[in-house]
Amino acid sequence: MNPSPVEAARPRLGTLLLRRGALLAFAAILLVFALGAPNFLAPGNLANVLAQSAILGILAFGLTTVIVGGGSNVLSGGLDLSVAANLGLSAAVYATLDNAGYGAFAGIGLTLATGLAVGLLNGLVVVGFRLPPLLATLASMNLVAGLELVLTENTVLPSASPLLEWLAFGVWLGVPALAWVLLGVAALLILLIDCTPFGLRLYAVGEYPEAAHAAGIAVRRHVFASYLISGLCGSLAAFCSAAWFSGSTTGSGEMLLSVVAIAFLGTIFSRRLRPSIGGTLLATLLVGFMINGFQLLNISSFWVNGLQGVLILLVVALSGLSRKEP
Amino acid sequence: MNEHDGISRRALLGASSALLALGLAAPLARATTQAAAEGEAPSLAGKRIAISTVGTSIYFDSRAFQAQVEEVRRLGGTPITLDAGRNDKALVTQLQNLVTQKPDAVIHTLGTLSIIDPWFKRIAAAGIPLFTIEVPSQHAVNTVSADNWSTGLVLAKKLVADLRGKGRVLVFNGFYGVPSCGIRYDQLRLVTKYYPQIEFLQPELRDVIPNTVQDARAQVAALLNKYPKGEIDAIWTAWDLPQLGASQALIEAGRKEIRTYGVDGTPEVLELLKRPDSPVAAVVAQQPALIGRIAVHNVARYLAGERDLPRETFVDTLLTTADNVDEVKRLRGDA
Repeated sequence: MNPSPVEAARPRLGTLLLRRGALLAFAAILLVFALGAPNFLAPGNLANVLAQSAILGILAFGLTTVIVGGGSNVLSGGLDLSVAANLGLSAAVYATLDNAGYGAFAGIGLTLATGLAVGLLNGLVVVGFRLPPLLATLASMNLVAGLELVLTENTVLPSASPLLEWLAFGVWLGVPALAWVLLGVAALLILLIDCTPFGLRLYAVGEYPEAAHAAGIAVRRHVFASYLISGLCGSLAAFCSAAWFSGSTTGSGEMLLSVVAIAFLGTIFSRRLRPSIGGTLLATLLVGFMINGFQLLNISSFWVNGLQGVLILLVVALSGLSRKEP
Repeated sequence: MNEHDGISRRALLGASSALLALGLAAPLARATTQAAAEGEAPSLAGKRIAISTVGTSIYFDSRAFQAQVEEVRRLGGTPITLDAGRNDKALVTQLQNLVTQKPDAVIHTLGTLSIIDPWFKRIAAAGIPLFTIEVPSQHAVNTVSADNWSTGLVLAKKLVADLRGKGRVLVFNGFYGVPSCGIRYDQLRLVTKYYPQIEFLQPELRDVIPNTVQDARAQVAALLNKYPKGEIDAIWTAWDLPQLGASQALIEAGRKEIRTYGVDGTPEVLELLKRPDSPVAAVVAQQPALIGRIAVHNVARYLAGERDLPRETFVDTLLTTADNVDEVKRLRGDA
């Protein structure tokens, strides 16, 4: 028996509402802040939130790429728990080199190489040794965090360079440099993952690895590449972090939970509840606006943590529901 | 009013140095500190005062934070409470947002100067008067702090006196970059320089945040195996959470011949002090609630037009041993 038109339309309507619902909720939150919080809509404030979102955002882009390539199942899919530790190590490497008098070229190059090396390690263990990403990157997270401790002895390494100065305080067209970095990295990754054959294949590999393999796509090479991109994002975020904190600081591992939360939260902004760079960008900004708005409303920032938790539960519940749909 | 304040401030400083010299907590301290704290400050009616802190997870900052919030309310102002939860990212974000928020004044407590000073600069540049607690920034109108020089000096002198000028000392030095810790450490080095028979074990240990107590406990427990009885005489820490962990490890291992020295006067450490055969030899107790109230009063005076505030206001610390621990608790209003 053919389903009636109404029944056939219902799930689509549901997803449609869900998709629009996320954007509507975002808009509603912004509206509440705009009406209630003084100066919230001031261009300077909006630009600040963009800049403040750069560190978490770029880390979450890396994680999103890995989830795209490995599938979004938290236990068996793609996951990179080492992104935040990678930032810590890369920032420490940059601060150490900068303080030791290495030139900008060597400092930047070796920092990027550090991030890539972490990605390479993750790629090797996940793709080469076929370890579950959750465990493999948990191990590399500890390894990388340990290396950072060796390098910094768990102290703050103050550092100043023209690059950091420009990132922290540079302004172009009224928008802070870090905001441009966030948007630039987002634009590049959106181009790469949404607009190139590589990106299309990466999605295929993540969602239907067997089908992708049967279609002749080099599954393992694509997964490997996603970890390299994530590693690179770790070191890119490290430059933002070093600018933000005027050097390298301890406790970067604490960012991990927020990064994971943002990457999964990002799925509600995408078309079929799948991970995407654009969705992750929106999720990063949502969290940034909430922290900012709550402060302007004089509400304790600890509420943001609670709200983030509620939103993630919502995402998990909704994506669970949507999978049950035919 | 100005004159009166000047006198009480001088009296406070004079009294504190006298007290520190004697190493005693006398009733005199109560009289002067109360004069400073409860001396009427101008009203803060209609003023929004941002009270920003690195965190509220340890005794010092939670008491200082709470006291500021209460004092701003008592003076009729509106506190904007900002607690970074010991997360540097949250800390810098909240300081940056303050530029948008434009409160009438900001009081910020603790933090690593190199990280927060560039953002202090922006707050000051936005015309928002900045006051700090325990962070001596050039961008602050006034900084209220314990006199860390005399605090470090008193603690170092107590250590040297207890050791009779000879012994091996284990040092936790993980936060040299935090000014209050760095100053106390430098004072320790300055005093012990003239006692060549006092030896510092190398390498120095690193205290950490978070899990300070457990981590210090584990580090000391491990080292006790390396250094049998007689090879360590004292453990010095720049604050007292590592001291707490170290003392716990000493009690656990039955190594009460080793004495510990620290700063802050966290309630758990004061409790340990009261135990018979406690490894805690001394802790220099801070008066965080008083520090918080004085900071708010300085803001109120500044906003009322008083422009001759000193760059730094020092608040006395109290050398606390088993003999005067109850007196100190009463003085701080803990009891």
